[in-house]
Amino acid sequence: MPPMIDEILKLKEEATVAAGRLNSADEAETFRLKYLSRKGLVAQLFERLKDVPKEEKPQLGKSLNELRKSLETEFESAKSRIEGQSKVREEVPDLSLPGRKRYVGKMHPLTQTAAEIKRIFTGIGFGIADGPEIEDDYHNFEALNFPPDHPARDMQDTFFVSDDSGKFVLRTHTSGVQIRVMENNKPPIRVIMPGRCYRNEAISARAYCMFHQVEGLYVDKNVSLAELKGTISYFAKELFGSEVKTRFRPSFFPFTEPSAEVDIGCIFCGGKGCRLCKYAGWLEIMGCGMVDPNVFKFVRYDPAEVSGFAFGMGIERIAMLKYSIDDIRLFFENDIRFLNQF
Amino acid sequence: MKISRKWLEQLVDLNGIPDQEIASRLTMLGIEVESYENFSEKYKGFVVGHVLESSRHPNADRLHLCRVDIGGDVKDIVCGAPNVGAGQKVPVGLVGALVPHNQHDPDGNGFELTRAKIRGIESNGMICSAFELGLGDDKSGIMVFDNDAPTGEPLAKYLGLDDTVFEISLTPNRSDCLSHLGVAREIASAFSRKLSAKRPRFHETGDPIAAKVEVAAQDLCPRYSARVVKGIKVGHSPRWLKDALEKAGMRSINNVVDATNYVMLELGQPLHAFDLNLLSKQTIVVRRPNPNETTFTTLDGKERRIAPDMLMICDKEKIVAIAGVMGGMNSEISDGTVDVLIESANFLSTSIRRTAKRLGLSTEASYRFERGVDPDITLTALDRVAGIIEETAGGQVTKGTIDITASKFAAKRIDLHVDQVNRLLGTRLASGEIKRILDSIEIRSEKKSETVLVCSVPTFRVDIEREVDLIEEVARVYGYEKIEEARQTKLVFDTRFDKSDLVDEIRLFLAGAGFNEIVTNSLQPVHVASEESGRYVPVANPISEDMAAMRTSLLPGALSAVSLNLSHGIKDMKLFEAGRVYALSEKKELVGNYSERSPISLVITGFADPVSYDRQLHQYDLFDLKTEIERVLKRLQLDNWDFISYDSSRIYNQSLKLTLNGMDVGVAGRVGDKLLEKFSISQHLFFAELDLLQITSVNTQTKKFRSLPKFPFASIDLSFIVDSNVPVGNMTSSVKGVAGKMFRDISIFDLYTGKGIPEGQKSVAFNVVLGSDDRTLNDEDVAEFINEAETQLGREYSATLRRQKNR
Repeated sequence: MPPMIDEILKLKEEATVAAGRLNSADEAETFRLKYLSRKGLVAQLFERLKDVPKEEKPQLGKSLNELRKSLETEFESAKSRIEGQSKVREEVPDLSLPGRKRYVGKMHPLTQTAAEIKRIFTGIGFGIADGPEIEDDYHNFEALNFPPDHPARDMQDTFFVSDDSGKFVLRTHTSGVQIRVMENNKPPIRVIMPGRCYRNEAISARAYCMFHQVEGLYVDKNVSLAELKGTISYFAKELFGSEVKTRFRPSFFPFTEPSAEVDIGCIFCGGKGCRLCKYAGWLEIMGCGMVDPNVFKFVRYDPAEVSGFAFGMGIERIAMLKYSIDDIRLFFENDIRFLNQF
Repeated sequence: MKISRKWLEQLVDLNGIPDQEIASRLTMLGIEVESYENFSEKYKGFVVGHVLESSRHPNADRLHLCRVDIGGDVKDIVCGAPNVGAGQKVPVGLVGALVPHNQHDPDGNGFELTRAKIRGIESNGMICSAFELGLGDDKSGIMVFDNDAPTGEPLAKYLGLDDTVFEISLTPNRSDCLSHLGVAREIASAFSRKLSAKRPRFHETGDPIAAKVEVAAQDLCPRYSARVVKGIKVGHSPRWLKDALEKAGMRSINNVVDATNYVMLELGQPLHAFDLNLLSKQTIVVRRPNPNETTFTTLDGKERRIAPDMLMICDKEKIVAIAGVMGGMNSEISDGTVDVLIESANFLSTSIRRTAKRLGLSTEASYRFERGVDPDITLTALDRVAGIIEETAGGQVTKGTIDITASKFAAKRIDLHVDQVNRLLGTRLASGEIKRILDSIEIRSEKKSETVLVCSVPTFRVDIEREVDLIEEVARVYGYEKIEEARQTKLVFDTRFDKSDLVDEIRLFLAGAGFNEIVTNSLQPVHVASEESGRYVPVANPISEDMAAMRTSLLPGALSAVSLNLSHGIKDMKLFEAGRVYALSEKKELVGNYSERSPISLVITGFADPVSYDRQLHQYDLFDLKTEIERVLKRLQLDNWDFISYDSSRIYNQSLKLTLNGMDVGVAGRVGDKLLEKFSISQHLFFAELDLLQITSVNTQTKKFRSLPKFPFASIDLSFIVDSNVPVGNMTSSVKGVAGKMFRDISIFDLYTGKGIPEGQKSVAFNVVLGSDDRTLNDEDVAEFINEAETQLGREYSATLRRQKNR
C-alpha cells in the first residue's frame, strides 16, 4: 500500500475525532484552518497528488475527495451542533414562570368526612350497607320500637310522602337500614349504614331539612355496653386525635336500651369551656345504645341468644366540628369558595 | 322544663351542694341540664333604691340628677328616663354591677357599670329599665316598684329571684321528672339525701262531698279523683305563688288556676278546676262524645272539631272539657266563682296523644298525660291543691274525695337476673351492689335466688316495664363512666357486606379530573321536579312550596349551584354530584311504588382551562363533556359505548343518549337557553347524568390480563373527502368494520373544509392502528385494508380517498 493512502486514512481518523470534540466557534475556525483551508492539510495532500505515479492517481484522488467531503460534513455538523448549543443557551426560559394552571377538583367536605368515617369502621371489620330514603312507617318507626301514638315519634319531625295510606315517610334516620339488614341476614352482623335523612325542621344555621347520617350496628353473642364504649372511643380518637376524651351519658332512644349520648371533650378549648361548647367543655357527637330486645323480636332474632349495639351520628355535625364550620347551610349552597377549602 | 332550686329545697335537702354540681350530676343521670341561671349572681350589685330628689341636669334638658337612697347610703345618679320622679322605688345598679342588657347596643349586649361623668356631673350608679335587667321588653322608661318595696333590699330578693333556675331537657321516657318532685328524687339518689315528706295541711269542713262522678269510658280513664272546695274568693295569687309560676315559665291567672298549675309543676299531676255551679246537676260524666256533639269551645275561645273517639269530660247535659287537654269556656273559673270541683285524673296516654295531635293543641297537661303520669298520685295532688286553695282563696274544703279507679295501682314486679346485667353491660356487679343501686331510686328488690332479684317498680316510673329497663337503671345510677371500655379482638370473616365503595372511587377520579363535588337538596318545587317527568314523588307536609317534591334529576340542583357561583363572579366550572333521584314507579318497588336511582351528574361551563400565559383559551363544548364521560367509562374498563343523538328539546339544545350494549345509561347535552334563563345563567352549560349502577352492572367481569402484543402494529393515515353532512361517527364505525379482527385503535386527527376542498364537502383524516396476534402485518395486508376501506366508504358515503400514508 502506498504511504500516501496511509496518511489519508490517518488524517481522516485524527480530524474526525477532533471535529467531534469541537466546542466553540473559535475551535471550529482553527479546525477549518488546519484541515480545510486553502493551505490546510487536505489541500497539501492534494498538492502532493501531482507527484504520485500516474497509475495511482485515480485511486488516491478518489480517496482524497472522500476525505475532503467527509471532513467538510464533520465540520458542518460540528458547526451546527455548536450553533445549536449556543442557541439553546440563549433561549433558557424564565423558570420563575408558574406552571400552566389547571382546575383542581375536590370531594365535598361531607363525602370526605363520610369517607373518613367509613375508613375507620371498615378498618375494624365493619361492612357497608345501604337502604331506601323513601321508607315505610314499619322500617322507619314501628320495627324500631316507636309504637304508634307514642311521644317518641315527636323526637323526629317527619316528612310524609303524599300517599293515601300515609304509611310512607322520608326517612328521619338511617336506623331503618338496621332493620333491613337484620331481616336479610343472620347474626353476627357488623355494618355501618351511611345515607341521607330528612327532618321537617325550620332551616337555620344549625338545622337543615335534610342531612346525612352514619348508622352502625353490631350484633353477636355477648356484645356489651363495654364494647360499645371501646368501639366509639376508638372511633373518636381516630377521627379527632388520640388525645380526645369521650363521655357517655344516659339518654333515650326507642330502639336502644340502655341508651347513651356520646360527648367528646371540646376540641376547641380542650374542655375548659368556650362559646362553641356552650361553656360545658363537651360536644355531643352521637347517640348510641344496646339494641332493644323489642327490635330483635321484630327481626326474629332471639334476645336471649344475641345482643348488640347500635350508634348513629350526623355527618354534618362531625364535619362542622372537624372543620369549624358554623353554618350547616353552607354544605348545600355549593359555593366553590367554600368547597375549595377542604 | 324550668326547675327552681328554692322549690327543690322544699322537697329535698340541698344544703352545701353547689348549682354546678347539681347540673353535672343530673346530666350524667340522663336528666340533661341545658343551662342554669343564678339570679342572685346575675343581680349582684342591684338594690331597691328610693329616689329622694330629682332635678333637671344643668347641662342637658333630657337628663335628671337624682339623689337615691340605697339603704343607709345616698348616691347621686344621672338618669335619662322620662318617667323618673322623686318618691319612687326603683331598681338601682351600683358601680361594679353587670347590667345584663344595653339599650343602646344593637345586639343588646351587657356592660359593667363604672363611675362616670355625664355632661360634667358624676353619676354613681344607674336606675334601670325592665329591658336592661332582662325582665321584659320595656325600654321606654325605668321600672317603678310598689311604694312598700324595702329600700336597700337586694333586687333578686325583692323580685323573689334569689334562686337558681335549671333548664332541663327531658327525653320522652322520663315523664316522672316532669315535676320538681321527680327531679328532687333524682337528686336525692345522686347525693344520698332524703326526700322531705311533708303532709299537706288543710281542714275538711262542712257537708260531705255532694258532687258526683260517673266514668262511662273507663278504657280511656283508669282513674278519676275529685275534691270540692266551697265559698272561695277568686282573686290575685300571692307573691310567692306568682313568682314560683313565673320562674317555671307559666303565667299567673288567678289564685285557683295558679294553685292547680303549681301542684302540677310540683308533683307532675295535671289538675283542672271547674266552677261547680256551672256543672249541671253537679255531676261529672267521663265519656266519648255523642253523635250530635261535633264541636266544643275550649278555654282559649277557639271552637274545636271533636271526633267520636276523643275522651270528653261532661256534666249531665254538655261537654265541659276535652279530657287531659284543655277545659272549656262554659265551666271556666271566673271572678264570680264560689264553689270549685278539682279534677285529678289519669287518662290513657295514647288516647290523649291522638286527641292532642288531631286538635293541633299541645298543653302542659296533654304533654304530661301523653308521656305518662303516676296513677297513684291523684289523691296526694288533690290534698296538696286543697291546702293551697284554702290558704290563698279561702273557702272550706268539703269532706271526702271522689275516687273512681279501674284497678289497683300496685308496684310492678320484675325479675332481674344478675348475669343478664353483667352480660349486657360488660360489668361484674354483684347482686348486693345491684340491690343498693336500685334502692337509691326507690326500686325495692328481694333476692329470689343467688342470681335473681325480684324488683318492685314504683308507680311513678311508668317507663320501666321489662328486665332490660331495669338494667338501664342499674347502668345509669352505677354510672356509664365507671363501665370500662372493652375492645373487640376477634377477626371478622364476613363476605356479605361491601367494604369499599365504587362511587367513592369515581368521586376521587372526578376530583382528580378537576371537578368539584356538589351536594344539593333533594327537595324541590313541584314545577321543577315535574320538568323532567310527571312521575315525581310529592311531599305531603313540605316546609314550603319550594321543597314540595322529590327531585327527578340532578340538573336543577346543579343549575342552582352554577347560578350561585356565577353571582360571585366565578364563571368557569367543572362540577359533579353523586346523589339519588326519585320517581313513582309503574311497578312495586322495595318500598311502595317509589323507585330510587343513584346517578352521577357532570357539569361544565365557561373556559376549559384557567387563563395561562401561553394558552389559547377554549370555551367548553359538548365534545369536552364527551371527553369527560368517556374517561369515566374507560376508568370503569368499558369500551363498547355509543352516543346517539336524540331530541329532548324541552331541556337540551343539543343532546345525546349514552348507550351501553344497547341499554340507555345516560344523557348528555347543552342545556337549553330557556331553562338556563330561569336560573339567570347566560353562558353555555353542558350537563350529563349517568346511571352509574346500570353502567357498572354491564361490566361485572373481573379484570383479567391479556398478553402484550408480540408483533408491531401498523399505523395508517387515511383522509377522505365526503359530503359535509355525513356523520364522522358512522364513517368511523365503517372503518372499524373493514379492519375487522385487525382493528386496534382509531382516532380522527384532522377535519377540514375550505381551500382545496370542493364546496359542500369536507376532508376527514383518520389514523387507524392495525395489528395481528400471530404475525407482523405486511404491505399487502395494509394495501388490502386501504383498498377495502376506500371501496366501502365510497359505496356507503360516496367518499373519495384523498391521501394515504403508512406511518
